[in-house]
Amino acid sequence: MRLVSTTTRRRFLSLAGAGIAAALAPGAGRAHDGPHRVEVGISAFAFTPRRVTIRAGDTVVWTNRDLAPHTATADEAGWETDRLDRGQSAAITFATPGRHAYFCSFHPMMTGEVVVEPT
Amino acid sequence: MKPTLSALALAGLLALPAAAADKMNDLEIAHTAYTAGQIDIRYAHLALAISENAAVREFAETMIRDHSAVNAAAGALIAELNVTPQDNALSQALATGAADKRAELVALSGHAFDCAYATNELGYHQVVNETVAEKFIPWTTVEPLTELLREALVTFRVHEGHAEHMVAGLKCGS
Repeated sequence: MRLVSTTTRRRFLSLAGAGIAAALAPGAGRAHDGPHRVEVGISAFAFTPRRVTIRAGDTVVWTNRDLAPHTATADEAGWETDRLDRGQSAAITFATPGRHAYFCSFHPMMTGEVVVEPT
Repeated sequence: MKPTLSALALAGLLALPAAAADKMNDLEIAHTAYTAGQIDIRYAHLALAISENAAVREFAETMIRDHSAVNAAAGALIAELNVTPQDNALSQALATGAADKRAELVALSGHAFDCAYATNELGYHQVVNETVAEKFIPWTTVEPLTELLREALVTFRVHEGHAEHMVAGLKCGS
């Protein structure tokens, strides 16, 4: 099951180019029990856990539990959630292996990282 | 910089012992907390109208966004509890002091404005945070209100740190 809460904003962004390349790469067809989703909470102005490790094709779901709105925005252009008010979630599916550092565009001292491993 | 009437009013409250007989009730605290947020939002709008400094403008936008969110949560709680916040002497003193401060700020421009705004934000958040932590939270008796104040304080303390960083970056003392 890939998708997430129906009560929230969702944004799925495939980092398509490199993702397709990764899918076609040797070894791409090895055993994998399908896409997963990983939850990242936002509370007390921090992403928890600050770093998550997933496989290409998995989805990260951010949920804001603070009163203040937040975002999860890539350090390098490519993806970001919408504004997340309290109780709202957003999901992004990562197709590209690599390290994706991100921050809250409203409170830039809040930082996190998604590590995407090949499938 | 001279302290504002708002700061003096809150400082006066802070001088009271925690168990002061004239402590505020839940509805008064709700009114004052909401008023304090609205005051900071108005300061921020003034900053966006006057300042051309990117750091100041970013801070002001954060104040509008965050305090609006906190006050929206407060409004939702008030509606849920079906109560009416009570105006009180502290809320009135805050409003009067803020009007005076806005009049002072609007006469400034450039670096002078940026420093006056930033310094006021730092001082304002310091005294509000102390008041919320040491008076309002211990005084409240309605658990949802206490919890809302605790959560709001997390946000306000981040603002205080941000304001401190902004003041340092502006080099207002030099």
